[in-house]
Amino acid sequence: MKKKGHSIDPLGFVLPLVFLIVWYSATAGGRVPSYLLPGPERFLRSFVDFAAGTAHLSPYSGTLMGNLTASCIRVFCGFGIAAFFGLVLGFLTGRIGLIKRFLEPTVNLIRAVPGIGWLPIAMVWFGVGEKTTVFLIALAAFFPIYINAAHGATEVPLLLIRAGRMLGANKIELCKSVILPSAIPSVVVGLRLGLGVSWAYLVLGELTGVSKGLGAVMMDSRMLGQIELIPVTMVCIAVLGKLTDMLLLYFYGMIYPYPAGGVK
Amino acid sequence: MAKELVLQKVGKRYFLPSEADGLKVLEDISFEVEQGEIIAILGPSGCGKSTLLNIVAGFEKQDSGRVLFMGEPICAPSPQRGVVFQSAVLFPWLTVYQNVAYGLKLQKRDINNIKKKCGEFIKLADLEGFENYYPDQLSGGMQQRVALARVLVLEPRVLLMDEPFAALDAQTRTAMQQLLLSITEKISSTILFVTHDVEEALILADKVFVMSRRPGRITRELIVPYSRPRALTLTGSADFSKMKNEIMGFLFDL
Repeated sequence: MKKKGHSIDPLGFVLPLVFLIVWYSATAGGRVPSYLLPGPERFLRSFVDFAAGTAHLSPYSGTLMGNLTASCIRVFCGFGIAAFFGLVLGFLTGRIGLIKRFLEPTVNLIRAVPGIGWLPIAMVWFGVGEKTTVFLIALAAFFPIYINAAHGATEVPLLLIRAGRMLGANKIELCKSVILPSAIPSVVVGLRLGLGVSWAYLVLGELTGVSKGLGAVMMDSRMLGQIELIPVTMVCIAVLGKLTDMLLLYFYGMIYPYPAGGVK
Repeated sequence: MAKELVLQKVGKRYFLPSEADGLKVLEDISFEVEQGEIIAILGPSGCGKSTLLNIVAGFEKQDSGRVLFMGEPICAPSPQRGVVFQSAVLFPWLTVYQNVAYGLKLQKRDINNIKKKCGEFIKLADLEGFENYYPDQLSGGMQQRVALARVLVLEPRVLLMDEPFAALDAQTRTAMQQLLLSITEKISSTILFVTHDVEEALILADKVFVMSRRPGRITRELIVPYSRPRALTLTGSADFSKMKNEIMGFLFDL
């Protein structure tokens, strides 16, 4: 059984490398026109300009941090709300039969409407921009968090609970020291899914018309003809998504240094 | 002196959709256990011996009869009736040391006291050096030793063991039986253990209760005539084999 591997697998780099080569050769000779897909150097120049603003290539020069921050705040707010309600309601549903019977039908009903379908009514309720975005993110991220928390709370092995009781744990101590830790792997799965969904719905929400944000830049730059900024912002969102996921896993590793099964 | 454990006409049914009156698992079980006695419950698969142990442990309730622990009816599990399960059932997110310390921490003992006691019982269970290992890094036998240590560290009056060595290979099983024998010399606990291994019952116990097939009844009560301390080499002697064959006869006749 391997411990946490710090060696990076070279095989994972093959496809990205192939992609880079194809990208370069496709755009270099002008085979693919630059108004459809900018080449790697134009991409890089745009990126640096977006971040540092030195070349003044677009109205967005140097605004990376500002837009990034705005988007991050929305994601954290939406994800935070989803996590709070998802974890609390999920746990309660998983452990208390009455609450499950109470909540499950309604939750499943709401879940049946895909997140995108909530866009029109959200705009009616919250107008364009900030609140709508946070609402959509929270709504979409809630469900994976809730479902996985409920699953984790339900699936605690009976024998573990018996062992805890036999060793002297009362109901509260049992919750804290047996049920919670046992449920954490499932909870983390839900949180990771919720976080991924949060970044996805960020773009959707920002479409409605926010002044700052990576998703907003992505859509507006299309209309302004600044095509390079589209892949640039896509990459920003992807990197942020990956970084926040790694952060989540890092906190998971701190609470649960060696999960059952030994595989991360 | 009140008997440690008293069972009077204990019965248990499981209600299944297929059985109108319920599946009778235990019937009319009555016996008593004195302090310090080591009792083996021997029986074929499905005879209800694990159910019996669960009732004494407090995990399940009997449908008829009484079960008394130190004169009081049993209503819930307790560290005073420590249980070693068939599989170790350790907390996978805790290290060996943390698993052993779990019960003591619940009792809110002083940290130095906990360290000292854990050290003692980790040594007793032959786990020195493995304090920071996680359960899934240990072999089955070692996990069972942790399970034993975490219960013994709480100094229970009664130790309940449900086929504790059944899941281990023959050599590890023998080593564990040896460990238990040496532990019983140092710690005088009352032990009630369930097994389907006749040799194990004879080598470890003072008394053997033989159970019938379902519905489980106690059909025979045998006193094991060997004095303590015992050595595992007893299993080779002639009268040991004779007793073993006698019991096997009871088991297969039922």
